[in-house]
Amino acid sequence: MAFVAITDGAASTAEVAAFERDRRELLRHGFGFGGTALMASSIPLLWSVRSAFAEAGGDGDAPVLAKAINLERVTVVAYDSLIAGELLSPSVRGVLRRFRAHEQQHAETLTTSLTSLGGTPPAPPAGPADVDRVVEGLRDVRSQSDVLSFLIELETAAVAAYFDAQAKLSEPKLLQTSASIMANEGQHLVVLRRRAGRDPLPNAFETGEQ
Amino acid sequence: MELDHFLRDPQSRRRFFRMTGVSAAGASAVLLGACGDDTKNPVQLGPDESDQADVEILNGLLDLELMAIAAYKAGAPKLGGERLGIVKVFLEQEQAHADGLSGSIEDLDGKPNRAKSDYDFPVLRTDADVLRFALDLENTAIAAYIDALPKFSEKKLRSTAASIITNEAEHASVLLHALGREPVPAALVTGRAA
Repeated sequence: MAFVAITDGAASTAEVAAFERDRRELLRHGFGFGGTALMASSIPLLWSVRSAFAEAGGDGDAPVLAKAINLERVTVVAYDSLIAGELLSPSVRGVLRRFRAHEQQHAETLTTSLTSLGGTPPAPPAGPADVDRVVEGLRDVRSQSDVLSFLIELETAAVAAYFDAQAKLSEPKLLQTSASIMANEGQHLVVLRRRAGRDPLPNAFETGEQ
Repeated sequence: MELDHFLRDPQSRRRFFRMTGVSAAGASAVLLGACGDDTKNPVQLGPDESDQADVEILNGLLDLELMAIAAYKAGAPKLGGERLGIVKVFLEQEQAHADGLSGSIEDLDGKPNRAKSDYDFPVLRTDADVLRFALDLENTAIAAYIDALPKFSEKKLRSTAASIITNEAEHASVLLHALGREPVPAALVTGRAA
């Protein structure tokens, strides 16, 4: 198929580990991806988040939903931490507050869906320490530019996770809801990329691939 | 037809999309006709029937992409500077979507729809009119793709459709910003049904 060029992204643990090794090696030699230098501490971020969906076990939609809820909640905590810091201009802080509210709404929507399926939502993250289990690098941001880079990578990872979820979910309404959330994360990316001085529309097919 | 009338009148919009061959737009008549209206109780189809249903859905979406390409080509001469640059990027990306959809239709042994020789677009007098009409088309496309998602038999088509939805949502965000409006107005992006 013409679309097969876009993989479904169901990365295995071994593939994730290999990717991370390669990425660390590149960064050790001073190379970034796509010409953009990445914070060393954020190296595992993309694939650790993405693999969370890829490795969702069990039957039915509930395990994928639980992973998605955790991702959204962790993203809320990350936004909270960055908004509370002193690195942001008032304008950027206002943008991040709006996006934080969107992520919270995603988490609540997904929690309602999981509950209606008879599932139990995962325990909420307690704070930045729990964020590190999913996303590394939050504590290492030193400037507004770092904040924007961190969030671009986090939102990109979320897009990748929801892209993968399309092949894993079966309930029609959940497929539509996850696509609506994915599209919102893409809109976040447009604003964040623009604020970071990057091309806001780099991909005709927004799959979360870097 | 004047753009303001077009945007305010749901019947005019439906008539426009129907006459331009895009009966899938927003209301998704083609999509529903292709594989049943009830997503909660999808009809079980055999392999050939599934492929044919996917082809019909893909062709409905291709109609939308081809119309968007024509709209951007028609609107570009009214734009300059940064706004023209934006539309050029959109045009390239809509063409990439159309090419991808056509390729997938052919892979399923289907025949991709062709662009219409003429689209009866509303009158676009200003650069703002072009952007407002473009925003309407992007939202209509988002609604149609979201409607189509659960109807695809082939799971990879769902993922790819979601990647296009996200790109169309990004276009909408850029257009909203260019129109001086909030670029990310809602947590759940659903487009708008015709």
